[in-house]
Amino acid sequence: MFKNKLTLKIFLFLIFTDILETVTQFCFKKSAAGESGMDIRTVYDVFLFVKANAFSPFLWAGLLSALLIFVIWSTILSKIDLSVAVPIASFSYLLIPIVSIIFLHEKVTSLRWVGIFFIILGVVSVSVSTQEKANIAR
Amino acid sequence: MKEGLFFIIFLIVITSICDTISQLLLKSAVNSFGFSTRGFLKIVKSMLKLISIPWVWFGFLASTFSLLIWLFVLSRVELNFAFSVDSIHYIFIAIASRMILKEKVGILRWLGTALIAVGIILVTLS
Repeated sequence: MFKNKLTLKIFLFLIFTDILETVTQFCFKKSAAGESGMDIRTVYDVFLFVKANAFSPFLWAGLLSALLIFVIWSTILSKIDLSVAVPIASFSYLLIPIVSIIFLHEKVTSLRWVGIFFIILGVVSVSVSTQEKANIAR
Repeated sequence: MKEGLFFIIFLIVITSICDTISQLLLKSAVNSFGFSTRGFLKIVKSMLKLISIPWVWFGFLASTFSLLIWLFVLSRVELNFAFSVDSIHYIFIAIASRMILKEKVGILRWLGTALIAVGIILVTLS
């Protein structure tokens, strides 16, 4: 009956998946960056692209991290609604640009930060609506 | 960069749809039996039960396809851009949760979803 209740434990697990998500995306980017000049026109090109990525240790590190996220998610999803769980696990929208700037030397313009702020604001609104729902239930 | 920005955004939308399908299948699978989280052994047992459900594998298939397109996207554009635009899956998940899983999506949650949409547009414009 109390399936939608957001406990501290679930919250912390969600934050942990954010960190894992950032690690995963960083690894995927590192793997794919090697193929930035590859022109993909035929099925064989797709095969070459997959092959190049499959030989990158970063891809496998990313997949391992993604697998861990999957295990944690499967557990969380049995306890909480999907439309509640997904938004809270989104601090990675802040973590990923930070990691991108520091480790990938990407540039984030002011307008993009505003956009990211809106995305996070949207996520917070969705999280607040969880409490609203809990109050109604009470 | 040979591919246009709109083509890249189109590909990100495809990966988001695949991810949404995968999440929905996983959620329905978890809902279909009592997923036990009391103790490590019970979690492992529940995991094994989970992967014995055929539609979970369709979810994996959708995820694999999504990963392939995602790697291609990342080989073309910056990670922070791609990941921000990828937040479009929130909108798909809100709609799908409402329509397919019949979860309740309140006004505030729809407002949050709208803010995310505004954020994506701003990130795309930058």
